[in-house]
Amino acid sequence: MYVREAHPTDEWQMKSNLKDDVCYAQPKNLQQRLDIANDFITRFKYPLPFGVDDMSNAAESAYSAWPERIYVLDESGHIAYRGGMGPFNYKPLELRGWLAARYGEVRHDAAKPGDATHQEPPAAGAPAKTL
Amino acid sequence: MIGLEKIPLTLFWKWTIGVTLAVFLLAFVGLSLMAGSPRDAYGMVRYALPHMHRGNLKLGDDAPDARLVALNGTDHFHIRERTGAKPLVLVFGSFT
Repeated sequence: MYVREAHPTDEWQMKSNLKDDVCYAQPKNLQQRLDIANDFITRFKYPLPFGVDDMSNAAESAYSAWPERIYVLDESGHIAYRGGMGPFNYKPLELRGWLAARYGEVRHDAAKPGDATHQEPPAAGAPAKTL
Repeated sequence: MIGLEKIPLTLFWKWTIGVTLAVFLLAFVGLSLMAGSPRDAYGMVRYALPHMHRGNLKLGDDAPDARLVALNGTDHFHIRERTGAKPLVLVFGSFT
C-alpha cells in the first residue's frame, strides 16, 4: 500500500535516492501519488495487488504505517502480526518466519501486476494473500 | 528594559546552560552518526520524527478500515473487503 513518500526531493532526500535514481517531490495531489506508484510498479514489475492511500492519509494514520510497516490481518479481521516501524524495525524476514511458523511454508500466488482488485481463488496450501 | 548583560549568571545557571547545550550537542552528534550525516540528522528531526508514531494497535485488535485507490485512479476498495477467507498481509511503504 502506497503511503506518503519518505524521502522526497523537497524534504529529506537521501544520497541513495540519487544513486538509485528515485527522485520525486512529495505528491501534492492524488494524481501525483498515482504516477509515482505506477512508476514503482513499472520499474520493479511489482506482481502483487496494490492500493494507494488517498490524500487524507487515512490508511497511514489508521495503521501508523509511515514510513513503512507490515501487518497481518487474520481471517476474522483482527491484527495477527504487527511489524515494527520502519526503517529500523521493518523486517520482512521476520514476517516470513512468522507466516511459516503459523501457516506453513510461504508460497506466493501469481497476480496481475498493478491490479488492485485482482483476486485469485485460494491455491491449495497458500497461506496468505497480500493486498 | 534590563539588558541581558546586566543579569548576573550564577554558577547554577552557568552549569545548567552548559550541560543543556552539551546534551543537545551530543544528541545531535549521535543522531548524525546514526542517520549518516548532520544533514540527515536534520532531515530526521525536521521531517521524519513528526510523522513517526508507534500507534495504539495491538495484537487481537479489530483491524481498522480505510479506503484505498486502485492504480487506475478511479476504482476504490476497502482494506476490510479483503479479509475473510485467508489472512491478509498489509505492506505499507513508498518509492523513496
